[in-house]
Amino acid sequence: MADIVSIMACSHTPVMLNFPDAVPQPEREEIFGHSHRLGQAIATAKPQALVVVCDDHVHNFFLNNLPAFCIGAAPTYKSPVEHWLKADKRVLPGDAQLGAYLLNAVMASGFDPALSMELTLDHGVLTPLVLAHVSGQLPIVPILVNCVQPPLPSMKRCFDFGVALGDAIRAYPGLDRIAILASGGLSHDLSTPRMGMVNDEFDREFLRCLEAGDSTEAIRFASQHVHEAGNGAEQCECGSWPLALLEQRRSRLTFIALYPVGTPVLAWVSGGVKWLRPGQRWSLEVASLG
Amino acid sequence: MSNWLQGMPTAEAYEMNKVLFELHHRPDDLEAFRVNPDQYLNRFSLTDPVRRAILGNDVAALYLAGANPYLLRAHCIGMKIPEAVSVGALKRLAGEH
Repeated sequence: MADIVSIMACSHTPVMLNFPDAVPQPEREEIFGHSHRLGQAIATAKPQALVVVCDDHVHNFFLNNLPAFCIGAAPTYKSPVEHWLKADKRVLPGDAQLGAYLLNAVMASGFDPALSMELTLDHGVLTPLVLAHVSGQLPIVPILVNCVQPPLPSMKRCFDFGVALGDAIRAYPGLDRIAILASGGLSHDLSTPRMGMVNDEFDREFLRCLEAGDSTEAIRFASQHVHEAGNGAEQCECGSWPLALLEQRRSRLTFIALYPVGTPVLAWVSGGVKWLRPGQRWSLEVASLG
Repeated sequence: MSNWLQGMPTAEAYEMNKVLFELHHRPDDLEAFRVNPDQYLNRFSLTDPVRRAILGNDVAALYLAGANPYLLRAHCIGMKIPEAVSVGALKRLAGEH
């Protein structure tokens, strides 16, 4: 039986790696500082493996074969897949046994994720690992949710999948300590006339629901209003948050919101990275729930 | 208001997205495209408007034809289309609607 020792959620825009200087000091230092501290918090929890919930940005999967959910079960993962991403090519260690266990366990509880024994992971997984300085430090299990191309799994389905996943992680006999990282932004919009927009109201209400542990309202609100928050806010980049955050309701854990809502960092806004106005910092830690 | 122009990609959009995908994932495709874009695009069953949009880096037209937003974004970065050009083209659409 494994303890879920850490759950983190953060944004993953590739422009943080490609155009790091696009954001002026001191915001840049502060954002990268938070990313680093996120990594330190993961390390402090001493996990033996890291489950990363994210989306595949149409790199491993295309419209010829697009799973709603996919669980990786490979001993290693090459990354990044993007030739244009400013990150060194590397091979990330994977935990194939844990991946295979989670796949079987959620299958037994009624879900049908795709199996992958070879993924070349994109910026969604790699950016947070790099910025948190934990890339290569821990064996990972990537769990990919389709939030990038309709038809999409519903918010409710993502949430229920997260419940099954949490149960499966806790039941895993092979390790004692497992961490979860959910990677995705809140409101933002890619490659549309609304590109650059953020929806503060959406973000605040969604985070309020999560903070309150009100999953029913979080699902209802996100389902109803996601189209006001942009295509980047779909599912994983919304859905992956509840996937991980639902855990806090049943465990004594620390939830660190790395990117609270507020004034968008304009140069990075395409990835949903947001920053806060002075004096309006959203609580960084919501501890000891459950 | 919807986050998506097409809830289900059209056949035309599928083929266009296939170009945007293969260009940036198959090892020699980007070079082949740069050397002879017309010849490269002959590998695909494209409509004339989509073909022109790809050749002309017409980001707005690609969007309107149903390009997947992530494929389109990666294509813009991968082709080094300046942000002001790609985002500007999309923004101008907002003004027209």
